[in-house]
Amino acid sequence: MTTIAPATSVPVLQLEHLHRRRAGRPAVQDLSLALPRGQVLGLLGVNGAGKSTTLSMIAGALRPDSGRIKLNGLDFLEQPELARSGIGWLPERAPLWPELTVVEHLDAHGRLRGLHGRALLDARRTIIERLELQPLARRLAGVLSQGQRQRLGLACALLHRPALLVLDEPANALDPVQVAALRQLIREQAAAGCTVILSTHLLAEVTAVCDRVAILHEGALRHDGAVHSDDHAALERTFFEIAMHASPAQAA
Amino acid sequence: MSVLSVTRLEWRRLLVRPLAWVLAALTLAWLGWNFTLLLGSFLASQVQRAALPDGPGFTDLVAVPLLGQLAQLAFLVVPLLTMSVIAGERRNGTLPLLFAAGVPASRIVLGKYLAILGWLLLWLLLTLAMPLALAHATHPDWGKLAAATLGLALMLAALAALGVACSGFASHPAIAAAAALILGLALWSVNLGAQIAGVHDGAINWLAMSTHVQPLLRGLFSSADVLWFVLLTGLALALATRRLAGERERG
Repeated sequence: MTTIAPATSVPVLQLEHLHRRRAGRPAVQDLSLALPRGQVLGLLGVNGAGKSTTLSMIAGALRPDSGRIKLNGLDFLEQPELARSGIGWLPERAPLWPELTVVEHLDAHGRLRGLHGRALLDARRTIIERLELQPLARRLAGVLSQGQRQRLGLACALLHRPALLVLDEPANALDPVQVAALRQLIREQAAAGCTVILSTHLLAEVTAVCDRVAILHEGALRHDGAVHSDDHAALERTFFEIAMHASPAQAA
Repeated sequence: MSVLSVTRLEWRRLLVRPLAWVLAALTLAWLGWNFTLLLGSFLASQVQRAALPDGPGFTDLVAVPLLGQLAQLAFLVVPLLTMSVIAGERRNGTLPLLFAAGVPASRIVLGKYLAILGWLLLWLLLTLAMPLALAHATHPDWGKLAAATLGLALMLAALAALGVACSGFASHPAIAAAAALILGLALWSVNLGAQIAGVHDGAINWLAMSTHVQPLLRGLFSSADVLWFVLLTGLALALATRRLAGERERG
């Protein structure tokens, strides 16, 4: 297993021996990672590998059974309010309130994340322009297409300019043009110093935008290494070696 | 601040859904109609009542019975309003968004509860406006009216907390509404058997909501009755908080 040392002394995110059981089986086992500022990590794994559980714990929506999560060196589990301003999260399938408009969503998310008054208005205007949501601004979330929902979810996650952006399958239901725009957005965020975790099933997504890749299998970290955009075949080989290696329980 | 953000979000969601408006329109129309009937019979019996030196007045014959009707409607209206507050979020998948925003379970519950309570108090105020509109032409018993209003407000607060707790435990809003309706009615009439048997004290009577609302509707203020409502409200909200915090732990 290849490992990368954090680029700065205090990583933006540090996971220490995370454990979490779900539905009576270990969903995440002894997971440790450190992410420096501005790095884009691709999180890969087959269905049920523990990616969404890991992301939910990092986002603060789920507590680990044991282990520590540190955000900028501060224990996130002891101070869950750190998530308020420090983390932006786009869960899988972008859950929304169907009766609220796009603007109302942004306002609600902004207030929940501590933005008010002028700061909220400015942040809202900026993100609407950046994600080209103007034509949808007054539309109810319940009538948005899946791709539009993803864009709104992404806008909500980015609204408060978090230090850590957690994206769970963000390219779901996006057309190729929107996928390209998403890649550009992720690179922009990273260049601005935002650390990004991108969970995906698409290896091409990882080679296109990520600096680093972590592969989870049966809840455990099986690979952690740098990504080289010209070495898609090597990543594919590593992924399949890990994914096809069935545990005795799976083989039975 | 996060309580206020949750309250604002819930209040907004309440106002854009047709359910709250339909409930308000139907119930206020029904209460308005009953107000005119009560007023009609009050005016018709004015001559007979003039012979009684301490006979019932406008407050006893119009205002308090109207509030009594609101109390009856509350058993249905409150479960319908509260059913989605947490169960609906759970079905939408939006509950983790609130957790991820670093809002503790207690503030989520309190924020949602305050939004519902705000709607209910507005509903009570609009109902109260009907008899108050005639205050200049009648001689309301202000003390009695204040006690009855306080009783109704406490009852609405307790039912709302019960509804929020049911919504916290139920997987589907309809189940939450049914549970809140049944629990509300059970709490009201838990002492029915004891009353029929002629027992008017004891723990079973203390448990019943009717034991604590009716004195207030008659204008009798007792801090023990107020405490009963505060305890019920606190207990229901604590249970809802515990359930939600557990959900965050379990996932």
